[in-house]
Amino acid sequence: MPGVYFTTTEFLDDAMSAAKDRGMPGIRTLALPADKYYVARANKQEVRPIVEAFFDKMVAALTRPLTAEEAHPDQARKQVESANIKVTGKDLLDASEKVNDLFLDNHWADGLPIVPPTPELVKAMEAGTTRSPKEVLGQVAPKNGTATVEKIAINSVMAGAKPEYFPVILAAMEGFLDKHYDLTHVVASTGSFTPVVIVDGPIAKELNFNSGIGMLGHGWRANSTVGRALQLSLLNLGQTWPQVNFMGLTGRLEAYTFYTFAEDTAKSPWEPYNVSQGFQAGDNTVTVSSSGNPVIFGGGAVAPWTAQGVIDQVVTQIRNRGVVWPHAQKHILVLHPDCAVELANHGYTRRSLQEYLYEQTRVPYEKLAKEVSFGQGTEEEFIRASIADGRIRPDRAQIFLDNLKPGGRIPVVQSPDDFHIVVAGGSPGYDLLFTYPGTNWAHQTKKVSGATLTKAGH
Amino acid sequence: MKRNTNWLLAAVLLIGGLCMAGSAAAQVTLEVMNPRGEIPPPKTLGISPRGGNLDGKKIVLIDNGKYGASNFLDALADMLKQKYPTATIVMYPKPAAQTITDLPKWYPTVKQQGDLFVFGVGD
Repeated sequence: MPGVYFTTTEFLDDAMSAAKDRGMPGIRTLALPADKYYVARANKQEVRPIVEAFFDKMVAALTRPLTAEEAHPDQARKQVESANIKVTGKDLLDASEKVNDLFLDNHWADGLPIVPPTPELVKAMEAGTTRSPKEVLGQVAPKNGTATVEKIAINSVMAGAKPEYFPVILAAMEGFLDKHYDLTHVVASTGSFTPVVIVDGPIAKELNFNSGIGMLGHGWRANSTVGRALQLSLLNLGQTWPQVNFMGLTGRLEAYTFYTFAEDTAKSPWEPYNVSQGFQAGDNTVTVSSSGNPVIFGGGAVAPWTAQGVIDQVVTQIRNRGVVWPHAQKHILVLHPDCAVELANHGYTRRSLQEYLYEQTRVPYEKLAKEVSFGQGTEEEFIRASIADGRIRPDRAQIFLDNLKPGGRIPVVQSPDDFHIVVAGGSPGYDLLFTYPGTNWAHQTKKVSGATLTKAGH
Repeated sequence: MKRNTNWLLAAVLLIGGLCMAGSAAAQVTLEVMNPRGEIPPPKTLGISPRGGNLDGKKIVLIDNGKYGASNFLDALADMLKQKYPTATIVMYPKPAAQTITDLPKWYPTVKQQGDLFVFGVGD
């Protein structure tokens, strides 16, 4: 079917990259001037001059006979990546600088200096796991680069990770590559979403992950380099680059290390988070999720707070967002230990807190939006469509249907399980809410296995 | 004097040569591994044949749901109707928030709506 695709000048490279990735590099594409279109699109009258300026080009794109290349394009050849590369400098520092320049010029690095991934260092990294270097974990979006253990090891060396961390990095990559994790959206969207990486189990302490004051900050090699290894792995295996096919408009606030931290199971009044995900106490796991900018609650060291007050603020925050993609929504509430203990003292278990949040955040039917973002129709129509096509699970559908009427209260998530409660932070501390406003699922927990250099994670 | 100059030149060249030899000897070569993954190439397809003009055609305008796309396509529909009065305009918005796995089921339905399509506005 003949067609034409409109995009804007800022997204033309992205559009052509995606077209090539999907095997149709010749799709006829017209790029509207971004500096004019995004302002003018607010109403039909203002956008009309742009339509007029592009009308003839559009007609031509729809009717002009194909060139031979458009009709029968050459088949894409396998992109052969260079084998090992030799870089010579006048001394070690010079050679290392040249490696850094080469990698950044090739879009293989993140802008910070990298550790040159020599075969010796990569082999040492691979020694951190029993898994074969040739094992394929999956294809990394958006370009579907093949993620082997060896390739992830190369990126982990570049990030400055220790071989002991490698099994944690591999488990996290398995989470990103799960078919229920919408990696394409997370690594490419204009929303600049940031992965959240939570390590649970004895291996967190053994590797010295920070779960206390400054847990999202600098100073802990495990937090910093595990997150960076994942960032570099996604960048190089999925082959994304800013302004080309990573179109996060502001860039991620945690661009280099993601939100990587460990749960403080020792100070938590409840069972480890991973137990709530079906794992055994003592299991070592990594949870990968995604978030917009987190919201901070509580008083920290400067203002009084109550545990119930924190929860009330969280409820208000979530309820004010309204019902947004309830089929896929998840919230990660990171409570600092003092707050968690206070809640436990008031009788909350993790489960009862999940149920409380589920009930209290429900939105009155009358407040459902009249128009769904990124779509057509009302929020009620969207929820009904989500039920009809199974995105809202059959066992939860009736709750939504029963409440889609005046006086009803609509859940913002499918079930209480979609509130993920993790204990981490300082004393004093703040509480964090990570929310990912994506339209698909992006939350997975995977078990760490195959470790050779630590007591935990075998 | 000339002899002294020659000696001086020889000495400079010798020292320079030694320095170069010294730096050549101190050169360091790093062998590094490529961090990128191999990408299995997709089958490359040509685009659909086209020709003639828009008279009498059924043109499907697909709103991708991004803010303002409907205004753009509405204005485009007006202009198409004005310039090609015998053409039929079909507004066929992309369903809201389709999951990635759902989209392959939806795209073939576009073909049932008309002869040509215009999709916009992508970002």
